[in-house]
Amino acid sequence: MSNLSKLFGSSGSTTDPRKEGLPLFGMWGGSSDSNTQMQFRVFDSNFRVTGSPWGSTCDTTTNYRFGILADASHAYNMKDHGDNFHNNLTTEGYDSWTNYIKSLYQIDQYPHCFHYTASRDGFVTWQSYHQFTSSFEYQVGWTKLNQVLPEGIRPRRTFTNRRFTMREFMGNSDCNCDYYNYESHLLNTDQAYATGTGYNEMCKMLVMVHSGNESTNTSKTIHIFKSSVDLNATTRIKDFFDNLEWTEYFTDTWTNQNVKDWTVVVGNNGWVGFGLKQSNSKRYGVFDCNQKGVGVDTTGASRQWSTWHDFAGSTTTSYGATNGHQYYTKFQTTWDGTWGMIYSPYYYYGCGINAFCMSIENPRKFININQTKSGRANPYVAWGRTGFHGGWSDNCDSEVWQTYAFAFDPKDSDHTIDTRVYKGSTSGEGAMPDNNSLVGGDYANKTGVCSLDAMRTGLHGGTQTTNYPMLMGINWWGSYGKGDASYGGK
Amino acid sequence: MATYYFNLKGEPATPFTVSGEEMVSKGRGIKAIAPEGIEAWRLSYNLSTKAVDVAYEGLSEEDAIAKKLEDDVAEAAATLQAEKDARAANEAE
Repeated sequence: MSNLSKLFGSSGSTTDPRKEGLPLFGMWGGSSDSNTQMQFRVFDSNFRVTGSPWGSTCDTTTNYRFGILADASHAYNMKDHGDNFHNNLTTEGYDSWTNYIKSLYQIDQYPHCFHYTASRDGFVTWQSYHQFTSSFEYQVGWTKLNQVLPEGIRPRRTFTNRRFTMREFMGNSDCNCDYYNYESHLLNTDQAYATGTGYNEMCKMLVMVHSGNESTNTSKTIHIFKSSVDLNATTRIKDFFDNLEWTEYFTDTWTNQNVKDWTVVVGNNGWVGFGLKQSNSKRYGVFDCNQKGVGVDTTGASRQWSTWHDFAGSTTTSYGATNGHQYYTKFQTTWDGTWGMIYSPYYYYGCGINAFCMSIENPRKFININQTKSGRANPYVAWGRTGFHGGWSDNCDSEVWQTYAFAFDPKDSDHTIDTRVYKGSTSGEGAMPDNNSLVGGDYANKTGVCSLDAMRTGLHGGTQTTNYPMLMGINWWGSYGKGDASYGGK
Repeated sequence: MATYYFNLKGEPATPFTVSGEEMVSKGRGIKAIAPEGIEAWRLSYNLSTKAVDVAYEGLSEEDAIAKKLEDDVAEAAATLQAEKDARAANEAE
């Protein structure tokens, strides 16, 4: 994988300019009323501080957030939509934005968060201003492509797919900047609603799920497009379709509570994982999307590996796209692009996690990830080379902040053997035991359940300062390379 | 009553036999009997009593959620008050 990103350019040795250093995250620490103390810092995957935020401030009541948020500069009353970040996030809906910002829904693989995000230098921004209920992410974010990209690269272009049309947007703004109707390339038009699309940049393969409507219709046509040009390198979407090497399709009937939840992971080996939230649980299935020949293997049964798999971990009442567009099932990848994650909350609107994690090399290799928190959550983001972390925002008064961090083996793609997961601990002895045991575990393919454990980070909020830290995505992790002090080696 | 599997911290992990037995066999799970009809978020395995506890026992799911929210708000308020008291005490010194 590490060499794939070097393919950019003609020399074969040029680093792709999109490539970033290891993931950063933002940490917001405010006092309970967000009007007496506040800190915002950006940390790297080694939990070292980076950048220079606007700084901390204490004991002022002149205005809420002290202008740390850019939004305050053009808010009407300087209150910035409220005054409280610390709420526990239990049963509140997305319109209760003060809680939603800590939600699992806040972020996916795209570099911009849906609520608060921050630059590498610590400038925090409210993404959706005064009309967040009508913004892109809350209505049509589910149409974005799930992208599998080379090491260190996140989607820098936002392509969407709806009906028979792909569009390009600038980030998560509402303005189109490209449009293409690909209907003439379809070998079957029985189902007219694109309801899930995945793209693999290494394979230049685009895989779409088309349904009979945009709600609960179970009829599916899956279209596979293999081009000779990379969609992310095209000037226009049309160029991708003008250079198709082949296209095929297959039809099937798939159970779905809401078609907007479909998430598509196009593996490097041509096998494709399709996952979604289904009622309180999730489902995941893998199909062979390699070239079979026109008119060959046009049924799902002829291409499916194994069966549909229901989530094997603990579930409870939780929300998906059927409860609101913005609750659509999300997708992320690790920094090195070797592992992907299809996920949704464990508990109601945003706490805990129910996830399938799969090898990007071979989506037939997957396990179940579970964290059963029912309050005080945080989003999960990519962490380190081959991992994720997040999920914890309990009061850090006199405590260090913790995360539920876990990591995979980037070379582990054999679905006939157990999957190794590395974990941490809340104590040094737990993280580095006085024995030869693995800190983590090996989990059976398909049925293995990895129950996440918290680990301490060393980041401390001091004492007598009630704070419920909020984790934010960072929109640029810094250029990849030895000049980046936050890069963790390799 | 039904079998439920918990992790070693007593948190609900899975209701499924194949996945649960793997956890137990590899030393990272606990097999226990839990009441049926209770959402998993209310279940926990008590490591001291070696039995399953049910949060807000006797309440419906709706009432349990309401009570949880009430408790969380109360806890947050108490925490904030404690912080204010401590700060005031510091300033008085």
